[in-house]
Amino acid sequence: MAKKLFLIFGPVLLAALLLIALLFSPFKMNHMSTKTEDKAAVALSPNVLKGQIIKESALSHKQFVPFFGSSEFSRFDMAHPSVLATKYQRRYTPFLMGGPGTQSLTHYFQMQLVTSQLKNRKAVFVISPQWFVKKGARKDAFGFYYSPMQSATWLLSRKASSAEDRYAAKRLLNMPSGKANHTIMMALKRVADGKQITKHERTYLVYEMRLLQHEDQLFSDLKMKNNQGKIDRIAKQLPDHYQLKDLDQLAVAQGKQNTTNNRFDIYNQFYVRRLHDKAKKFKNFEQNWSYVQSPEFSDFELVLNQFASLNMNVEFIIPPVNQKWSAYTGLSQTMLKEFDRKIRYQLQSQGFNNICDLSDKGNVPYFMQDTIHLGWRGWLAADQSIDPFLTKKQKAPHYQMNSKFYSTAWQHQISIKK
Amino acid sequence: MLSFTPYENPMYFGILGLALLPIVIGILCGKRFHWYETLISVFFLVLTFGGPKITQGLALITYLVYEVLLVWVYTSYRKKNNQTWIFVATVILAIIPLVIVKLTPAIQEGKQAIIGFLGISYLTFKAVQTIMESRDGVLKDFSPWFFLQFLVFFPTISSGPIDRYRRFKRDYDHVPKQEKYFQLLQKGLHNIFMGFVYKYMLAYVFGTMWLPKLEHYALMAHGLSWSLVGVMYVYSMYLFFDFAGYSLFAIGTSYFMGIETPINFNAPFKSHNIKEFWNRWHMTLSFWFRDYIYMRLVFFFMKHKVFKSPKTTANVTYIINMTIMGFWHGVTWYYITYGILHGVALVVNDWWLRYKKGHPGKIPHNKFTEVFATFVTFNFVCFTFLLFSGFLNTMLIAK
Repeated sequence: MAKKLFLIFGPVLLAALLLIALLFSPFKMNHMSTKTEDKAAVALSPNVLKGQIIKESALSHKQFVPFFGSSEFSRFDMAHPSVLATKYQRRYTPFLMGGPGTQSLTHYFQMQLVTSQLKNRKAVFVISPQWFVKKGARKDAFGFYYSPMQSATWLLSRKASSAEDRYAAKRLLNMPSGKANHTIMMALKRVADGKQITKHERTYLVYEMRLLQHEDQLFSDLKMKNNQGKIDRIAKQLPDHYQLKDLDQLAVAQGKQNTTNNRFDIYNQFYVRRLHDKAKKFKNFEQNWSYVQSPEFSDFELVLNQFASLNMNVEFIIPPVNQKWSAYTGLSQTMLKEFDRKIRYQLQSQGFNNICDLSDKGNVPYFMQDTIHLGWRGWLAADQSIDPFLTKKQKAPHYQMNSKFYSTAWQHQISIKK
Repeated sequence: MLSFTPYENPMYFGILGLALLPIVIGILCGKRFHWYETLISVFFLVLTFGGPKITQGLALITYLVYEVLLVWVYTSYRKKNNQTWIFVATVILAIIPLVIVKLTPAIQEGKQAIIGFLGISYLTFKAVQTIMESRDGVLKDFSPWFFLQFLVFFPTISSGPIDRYRRFKRDYDHVPKQEKYFQLLQKGLHNIFMGFVYKYMLAYVFGTMWLPKLEHYALMAHGLSWSLVGVMYVYSMYLFFDFAGYSLFAIGTSYFMGIETPINFNAPFKSHNIKEFWNRWHMTLSFWFRDYIYMRLVFFFMKHKVFKSPKTTANVTYIINMTIMGFWHGVTWYYITYGILHGVALVVNDWWLRYKKGHPGKIPHNKFTEVFATFVTFNFVCFTFLLFSGFLNTMLIAK
């Protein structure tokens, strides 16, 4: 009987044992090549952003500089940071982290996987005013870039309870992603209440982490978009020497050439695909929109806290909104100014002084590629701050963090005293 | 609290394996512990219908009490008497909960009935079948306690295959011989692993990786497009591998418990015609419809001489039978059209086969025509599945 049973179940048991040993073993199962790292830096793939191994491997080289942002990174045009870095063989390679729908909360949690690589480093962070809507980060978009690996790592590294921890745990519990795994949800509830996670939870998380890390190690380099070809093609159009005046002329020329089918200076393809059919609907559509009251301000504070505790030095970019378009949709300029003041206050009052504020450049022709994304001249303008920031020695920053930015009062505050 | 949809993840299979262990050991030693089987049935019901799904759980309990009492009363009555109207009334009472559950979303704009739960259809099929066999006089020794076991047999509770009372009872009362049980274990394990390939690999590729993309492109095209054709085939493949995979899990688990639950799919896309298709696709459902709706209606029409020719009787019944199946899937235009189309196809198929028989030698029959017939059947089925998917409805709304 035993022999027969073994013939039936033996192979299954053996396979199961092997698989379990493999998946839960504490060994690293894959090695990322330089080629993979280079590809990942411009791939903008969600699996790179939400995973660990590729970011960890790339960011362990000083060459790669993390660029945090959102959908603007996918607009590869002549002055895009990755294009300029390729063409002019800069000492740094932007490692682009961001896609449609990535906001502060996503960045806070995805950073957890590479904290030791980010320590004492420089970074660039592109803020989008459009994140700061009343409802804050979209739940589905957050879920798209979330992996339980992020929350598990975060939970395992909590020590004494802080306002940051409690706020982040509560915020994650608001998302379906935070409730998807029962143990993680219970652990988050404890942290939200200012308690330590239990021993049992810790053990569970350690093994869960190993499983997820192995999945990440084995599979996340399989699905990456290849954007390097596109970048090389665009870089070819640039003059051999970096001359601001020449580049600006080229930017104007390219802008003009590519915005011929509409009166808003919007990239032809974007206009046809996204706006043309609905253009009428947009008239005065954004009249009552506000970017001044939002939970995003506190989510953003999480990111700032993380930067401060890792002693990072960060250049913040605040892009404008295409003014020709916003005049049409009725988006309030006063409100945009209010937003600018509020976000600058949050940054500067805590010691984040490297700000490239482009918010008043919405009326410069060909500054934006479309309605809200930096384009030809916009990226060039940003480069005037990014390049010196990254290549020249910077003063060590001194941060004075303030937990009032986690309060709903701050989220709702409308105006800042000058 | 822990809560699962049956066979949804590795953890479920882990728990399942542990729970089955005592049963396997028992049967190997020539014993069946019915009390333990009941216990794990209850345990898995709690896992499926407890915690966050407790409203479904309560609906299930209420439903079970109601159906068991109903069938019990009818079988007791049937021992002494056999009036048609009582039989009809009992069948109506038995299907009323299902009818309410199916009608509610159509009447109340997509709301779900509170008396509904995952698998109500399959339990109703079992109950109606028991009533009908009791009416026929073939089911004599009814036991309410056993009937309850039959209804809640956990491997098949949520989506079948639909077993029959007397067949199930033979297996349930009997301990398979060791030699036979080894075969069952082997087949069961094979089924479960085949299920993994179907549901977690193939259905994943078709349903999770490809389908959403194709649907997106088809929606963007606003009308007929190659993407829509892609949606049709990819959805059909997804539907098959998902459901067939699930059925394999249910059958495999049943085998471990020494119950030979009938198979549900037998290479359906190999069918040469639509009739053969229904003998290979969702077989336990189609046989249930054949035995308890189609055959009953045919007998009724013949007995009362409603139609002159037997051909007309068969044709009308095909259409009624498949339309009811359409309604059972849900009261929406696309499910009902799906049913009617299959009814019409069965009529056309019968007509064609008769025509071919009536003109021997005139219509060629060879390897090529067989491949062609399979091709036509496959494409027809995929087209009806596109209807069935409701995606055309989504496209209409999006317009």
